[in-house]
Amino acid sequence: MPQIFVDGRAIQAESGQSVLAAALAGGCDLPYFCYHPALSVAGSCRVCVVQVEGRSWVEIACNMPATEGLRVLTDSELVREHRKSMLELTLLNHPVDCGICDKAGECSLQDYHYKYNGQPSVSLDAKVRLTKYHPLSERIVLDNERCILCSRCVRFTREISKTNALGIQERGDHSLVRAAEDGSFDKDAYSDNVVDICPVGALLSRSFLHRARVWYLEPTPSVCPGCSRGCTVNLWHRKREWKLHALDPARNTSIERVTPLENPQVNGPWICNKGRDLAKVFDRPRATQAMIKGTPVELAAAVEAARELIGAARRPAALVSSWGSNEELAAFHAAFGARFASYVKDDWLPQPGEVVEDGFLIRADKNPNNAAARARLPSWRERGEHFAAGTDLVLVWGEGFDLAQVPTTAKTIRLDGYASADHARADVFMPISIQTERRGHYTNFQGVVSAFSPCFAAAPSVADAEALFAALVAVTESAA
Amino acid sequence: MSGRKLLMTFDVTATSHTLADYRARGGYQTIEKVLRELKPGDVTKEVAASGIQGRGGAAFPAGRKWGVVHLSDGQPHYLCANADEGEPGTFKDRWILEYAPHLLLESMLIAAYALEVRHAFVYIRGEFDLPYRRLAGAIEEARAAGLLGAPLFGTDFSCDIIAHRGAGSYVCGEASGLLTSLEGKRGYPRNRPPRLTVRGLYQQPTVVNNVETLANIAGILANGAAAFKAVGTAKNPGTRLISISGHVEKPGVYEIEIGYPWRKFIDEDCGGVQNGVALKCVIPGGISTKVLTAAEIAPLTLDSESVEGAGSSMGSGGMIVIAEGTCMVRLLQVMLRFYHHESCGQCTPCREGMGWMHRIIDRIVAGEGRPEDLDQLLRISRMNDGTTICGMGDAAGYATVGILAKYRDEFDYWIAQKRSRYDGNLECRRSS
Amino acid sequence: MPLPLAEFDALRARYPRGFESSLVLPCLRRIQELRGFVADPDIDALAGYLGVPRVQIEEVLSFYTQFKREGVGRWHLMVCRNVSCSMRGAERVLDQLSQRLGIGEGETTPDGRFTLSTVECLGSCGTAPVVMVNDAYHENVSVEALDALLAGHP
Repeated sequence: MPQIFVDGRAIQAESGQSVLAAALAGGCDLPYFCYHPALSVAGSCRVCVVQVEGRSWVEIACNMPATEGLRVLTDSELVREHRKSMLELTLLNHPVDCGICDKAGECSLQDYHYKYNGQPSVSLDAKVRLTKYHPLSERIVLDNERCILCSRCVRFTREISKTNALGIQERGDHSLVRAAEDGSFDKDAYSDNVVDICPVGALLSRSFLHRARVWYLEPTPSVCPGCSRGCTVNLWHRKREWKLHALDPARNTSIERVTPLENPQVNGPWICNKGRDLAKVFDRPRATQAMIKGTPVELAAAVEAARELIGAARRPAALVSSWGSNEELAAFHAAFGARFASYVKDDWLPQPGEVVEDGFLIRADKNPNNAAARARLPSWRERGEHFAAGTDLVLVWGEGFDLAQVPTTAKTIRLDGYASADHARADVFMPISIQTERRGHYTNFQGVVSAFSPCFAAAPSVADAEALFAALVAVTESAA
Repeated sequence: MSGRKLLMTFDVTATSHTLADYRARGGYQTIEKVLRELKPGDVTKEVAASGIQGRGGAAFPAGRKWGVVHLSDGQPHYLCANADEGEPGTFKDRWILEYAPHLLLESMLIAAYALEVRHAFVYIRGEFDLPYRRLAGAIEEARAAGLLGAPLFGTDFSCDIIAHRGAGSYVCGEASGLLTSLEGKRGYPRNRPPRLTVRGLYQQPTVVNNVETLANIAGILANGAAAFKAVGTAKNPGTRLISISGHVEKPGVYEIEIGYPWRKFIDEDCGGVQNGVALKCVIPGGISTKVLTAAEIAPLTLDSESVEGAGSSMGSGGMIVIAEGTCMVRLLQVMLRFYHHESCGQCTPCREGMGWMHRIIDRIVAGEGRPEDLDQLLRISRMNDGTTICGMGDAAGYATVGILAKYRDEFDYWIAQKRSRYDGNLECRRSS
Repeated sequence: MPLPLAEFDALRARYPRGFESSLVLPCLRRIQELRGFVADPDIDALAGYLGVPRVQIEEVLSFYTQFKREGVGRWHLMVCRNVSCSMRGAERVLDQLSQRLGIGEGETTPDGRFTLSTVECLGSCGTAPVVMVNDAYHENVSVEALDALLAGHP
């Protein structure tokens, strides 16, 4: 464990660590572009320069081994001069079109320029013109003028997603990041991570392009329900105080973008593209109206009707949602564990064209909480998906089940968050809240428990499943 | 006669490059002697004792480089002869490839023995078609004669040598860029640490030496380090192949004993400046070395101490003679265009700096220069001094700083008058 | 055009095991010798044969000046215009060639006979000016020698 000194302050480094990594871990504030803790060292941006005490030149810190007793300076005149020069050169051909660039507000180049340079360009010559808005894939657009050729995106496809889908063409100041011509970047299920790691606004998500300024948005920590990996994510949505009055109110309760929430135990700093598209999951049309056999009723009336059905049932069964949170599952168990023959269903199955399972993050189980649900209950699929003879009531919680599969002799109670024509067939239907409207936890396939927080308030006509379970059972007991 | 010779010791004929002729000159006897009498470590000691410095441009002592390689470490080691010869003004390694390929091969076998190498490469720039064919022919002769790729002289040492062609990139002459190119990729130079002798070709210990450096090895082992040290100067032993070009009557490749007087070389051995015009200045060793004026070189000798004492370097031995009346602004323009074209684009200062410098000088030549442009060129040179992954950024800086230091008045003139002080032509004028 | 696999196999056998990636440059050179340039199907085929990522070959093709992805004229005239060649008249040679052939830099004559390019130092400064025509160096190419040079390439 070598000890190094950064600006005179002692820092414990790990064996084999670079001075930059050790300094950052030790709380030092050093600029860098091409360095990334999860990628190999490129050492090409030249911005992380430091000065070893006693030497009259600067060296990059990302490729400098931390050796016992090494003393470096990060703020000497020499370092400041060279760091400023490197930033000046990085900006030399940069279009500085922050006014129309999505990265503004979270751009390392902006931040470092103001902190370490602050001077306008002294060049009298026109900037090099390169491709703007190059479609790198269906999902990602590339602006080569903004690109500072840090090669993080290329290294990502080589070392992390292992698709080798990106490369650099030409050379010198006409170098261009380009996708492999066989379309492999379009098939890279992790492609959108390059948007996160791009330090500037060169790589941008097409679905997010020009949708919102990042300072109008806030991130809410959550868990991706796309599979049993349970990557932790940040769901970005408009801050309350920046509500858009003039536009469609739906824009104020939609997920604008999804980014990884770094998690050393589960997904590191990455998520797959399905996680990026969670708006497609959460922003689907919602069920907001309680119904009895398709006829709209007040929620209280539906609850009452359901209680009666539950009270009268002799052989009730339940299909439990694998998207239910740990808390909802516990409430379900408390309410119905004793009486109902309950099975966990796979609310979602792999869709055509979707990656089923790979050696990285994506798991075949496309539901976030089978681990917790299956700890208590058997699998519906393994049972062969058939009800016991004499089943007279089926309570279906969540998606992925067609009421036509229920024996005609049985009554049905349905709880679901999303709209479906099938809900009108239930004897009783009650709309419930979705993940983005409440607090809770999922347990992933390794047993890691992760938390999600609410982004929005549920509609007044929509109840939490947890509360409903308690309501349905409380009256039943007193009625018994 | 520019001193004693160690390499150009035979007459070039139609067959002097063949195995038969080389054998007749005593070829492949040294490797046999080395294998019978010396251990690998002894060979390295002898090379270190000779004091031979690299002849590619960096002048790093070859013996010291070899000494870093750990013998018997169980890893494959590789040796690579750098025949990329891209430094403008340099064409002397080509002489060895075309006329003394077997000297290179035998020397490489000796080096391979010293470094525990079983596979060695000669990386030849892609444009060198004839040199490649000569070398490939020599390799085939050697293989057929059981000298390459087969155990030698009753020992279990064997080494194969492969001639590997580049495809047009100056930075592939930089040792780490060369190896990355040899791995089949874009020729991007690498950061150090680790040194190539620790992690080089495919991350294995690799020694990269210039062709001329290697070509001297057979002689050093044949005659001993002391004999080598007796030639040249104390600090810079041996001879150098100088490729001389530009405004000189007899351009070509000459072997000089190191320490030979500079003006004597130009005026007597190379026929002096073209058309009897006065000498203006000389670029000593490839355009990446600082230009020296005629007055500055007057007392100098061709050895590293003397040239470095004057603030320049012998570099790659690519000497360019420049006659009075040559426009230095146009000359720098050609150089900056070259560096811009060749920048690999990996690191910020060189990628952006080369383009910027090129655009500035183009603008000056177009008559739109501003006084602050010259300080800007110096500033950009400083931004590339010691901050880049490889030495190309520094090289462009040396060329620029060198020319501006000695000929700034020509640039001031062009900026003010919007034209060259001379006629802007780079060819030698008709007479003095 | 299928890849000359027998040749490539022999070449592969010369290199140490695990050096497949190193074969990218030599194989591309050979393909270009046969076809005149490297075509898209060649990239796929070579990537498959060597087991290297396709993108590596694409990157290499655009990095090195000698590789082409499109055909050029029958004779590719590459005029060096670096320092020593410029000092011995290369700029006039280039100018003359451009005038006589009626094409600019990077262009091909309408009959497909000549393509004119400029290149950086060819390592032949002692015999400047130098013009590389396809694989061959033509040295000491003065303006006076241009007639013979052009005539020698029908």
